[in-house]
Amino acid sequence: MEVMSSGMAHAKEDDEAAERIAGGRPCDAVPKIRLRGVTKAFAGPSGEVTALQDISLDIADGEFVCLVGPSGCGKTTLLRILAGLEKQTTGAVDVRRADGDRPLSRMVFQEQSILPWMTVEQNVAYGLSMRGVDRKRQKAIVAHYLEMTGLGRFATSYPHQLSGGMKQRVSVARAFADDPEILLMDEPFASLDEQNRLLLQQELLRIWEGTQKTVVFITHSIDEAINLGDRLLVMTAYPGRLKAIVDVPLTRPRDVTETRADPRASRLYMEVWRQLRDEVLKAKVGGEGIRPAPAGNRA
Amino acid sequence: MKDIKRALSIASPLALLLLWEVLARIPSRLTHFVAPPSLVMVTVWQMALTGELWQHMGWSFLRVMLGFAAGALPGIAVGLMMGLIPTVRAALQPIVAATLPIPKTALLPWIILLLGVGESSRVTIIGIGVFFLVLVNTMAGVMGIDPIYLDVGRNFGARGWRFYRTIAFPGALPTIFAGLKLGLGTAYLLIVFAEQIGVREGVGYLIWQAYDTFDIERMFAGLLLTSLLGFLSMTALSALERRWVPWRS
Ligand SMILES: Nc1ncnc2c1ncn2[C@@H]1O[C@H](COP(=O)(O)OP(=O)(O)OP(=O)(O)O)[C@@H](O)[C@H]1O
Ligand SMILES: [Mg+2]
Repeated sequence: MEVMSSGMAHAKEDDEAAERIAGGRPCDAVPKIRLRGVTKAFAGPSGEVTALQDISLDIADGEFVCLVGPSGCGKTTLLRILAGLEKQTTGAVDVRRADGDRPLSRMVFQEQSILPWMTVEQNVAYGLSMRGVDRKRQKAIVAHYLEMTGLGRFATSYPHQLSGGMKQRVSVARAFADDPEILLMDEPFASLDEQNRLLLQQELLRIWEGTQKTVVFITHSIDEAINLGDRLLVMTAYPGRLKAIVDVPLTRPRDVTETRADPRASRLYMEVWRQLRDEVLKAKVGGEGIRPAPAGNRA
Repeated sequence: MKDIKRALSIASPLALLLLWEVLARIPSRLTHFVAPPSLVMVTVWQMALTGELWQHMGWSFLRVMLGFAAGALPGIAVGLMMGLIPTVRAALQPIVAATLPIPKTALLPWIILLLGVGESSRVTIIGIGVFFLVLVNTMAGVMGIDPIYLDVGRNFGARGWRFYRTIAFPGALPTIFAGLKLGLGTAYLLIVFAEQIGVREGVGYLIWQAYDTFDIERMFAGLLLTSLLGFLSMTALSALERRWVPWRS
C-alpha cells in the first residue's frame, strides 16, 4: 500500500527542480527509468524524420506517468524504446530491473495486436506460458483477468469473433496477467465505450495501487491522464520534446468518478489543455517548417 | 434459385458423361482412342475385384505421402528460417532462385543414376518438387506476418524455438497450406512420370502399361484412379487446414 502515495511523495518544493532539468525529476532513490538526451530519428522517404529530440526524464519506481501530446509527436516511439523494441539514435536509456522472476515490461499496443491464431484465453496466457508458469496457475490468473475485463464468456473465442473494443480488452488483460514490473500502455482504452473505459481505469488504478508497478500510459484524453497519473508529461509537436511536466495534486486512492467532480482536476485540465492546444495547432500547420509525417502511418 | 443452381451443377457433368458415352460408342476413328465411361467403370470394377486396383492406388499413395513428407517438413523448416533471419535468407536466396526453375522431371534421369531405379529415386523426386514449393510459400508467409505480431512475441518473452512455435509458424500457416496444396498437386504430376520405369504397380505404371498394350480402357481407368487419389488427398489436406487454421473463417 505504500505505493499508493509514491506519486504524492514529491511535494510542491520539487517542482522547480523538475523544471530546471527539463523533465528530469530528481528522485531520492535510483529511478526505475532514466532517460538522458534520448533522440530517435527514422529514415523517411524525404530524408530523416526526427521522432524524438533530446528527452531527459526520470520515472520513479511505482510511479504512474501519463504521456500526452499531439498525434505523431513520438509517444509510441518513446514507449517502444522503453520496451526495447526500438533503439534510440542517441542518448542513454536505463531501465532498472528489480526482480528476476517477473518480466521487466509488457506493452499494451496501440494497434490491434492480439494473436489471431490463439483463442482469447491463450492470448491472455501468452506471457505466462512463455515464462513456463505452470498450467494450473496460468488458468487461475487468466480466469481472473478475463472476468475483470468482462471477457469470461469469450474465453475460447478467436479474435476475429470479437469486436474492436473487446480485442483491446484482451490486450490489456494479456499485459496485466503477466504481472510485469513496468506496464507500458499505448492508448489502451481508446476504442472502448465510456462505461468500459471508466471501469478499466478504476481497475487499472486498483491493480497499480496493490502491486508496486511502474506505469507509463499514453492517452489523448486529458481527463483520463488526470484520472490516472501522478505526473503528466506534455510533449511538443514534431519533433517530439518534453514541453512540460505537470503534477497531479490529487490524493490516492482515487475514484475516477469522483475525480471528475474535483475542482482541482478541472483547473488542471485547463492548464494541460492550454499547453497542448499550441502544440496541436503547430502540428496542424506543420510546426517549425518541417512537414510531420501523417499520424498513425505505422498502424 | 438455389435448387436450380444445384440441379444444374449435377446435371451438367451427367450430360457430359452421357455425350461421352454416346460418342465413344458410335463407330468412328475416335472409338479407338476413347473408352466409354461405362466400360471404364467395368474395368475399374474388375480391377477392384482382383485386388489389382488397391495395389496400384496403395503404392502410388504411399510414394506420394513419403515424398510429400520428405519435401514438406524440411521445406517448412528452411522456409521459416529464411523468412525470419535475414542472414540465412541472404545466404540461401540465390541458391533457391537458381535451382527453383529447373523442371523437376528433368532431374529424374540423374536421380536414377544416383540412387538406382528403386523406391528412393521416386520418393526423392517428389520430395524435391514439394520442397521448393513449400519452402517458397513458407518464406513468403513468414515475411508477410504483420510486424506487430513479431513485436508481441518479442515483448512477451518468446525466444528461440518458442518464437517459431507461437509466432512464425502459426502466422505463416495459411500461406504454408497454400504451398502444401501446390506441392500435393505437383506430387501427383511427378508420380505418374516417375512410375514410368522400374515399377510393376502404381497408377502411373497402370497408365504407361496401358499405353504399351494400347489398352484404352485400362488407360482411362488409370486416369480415373489418379484423379481420385489426388482429389481424396486434397480433400484431406483441406480438412486438416480447417482444423489447424480455425482462426481463418
Ligand atoms: N518505423 C518508423 N519508420 C519511419 N517513421 C516512423 C516510424 N515509426 C514512427 N515514425 C514517425 O515518427 C513520428 C512519431 O510517431 P509515433 O508513432 O511515435 O507518434 P505518436 O505520438 O504515437 O502518434 P499517435 O498519437 O498518432 O499514435 C511520426 O512522424 C512517424 O511518422
Ligand atoms: Mg501512437
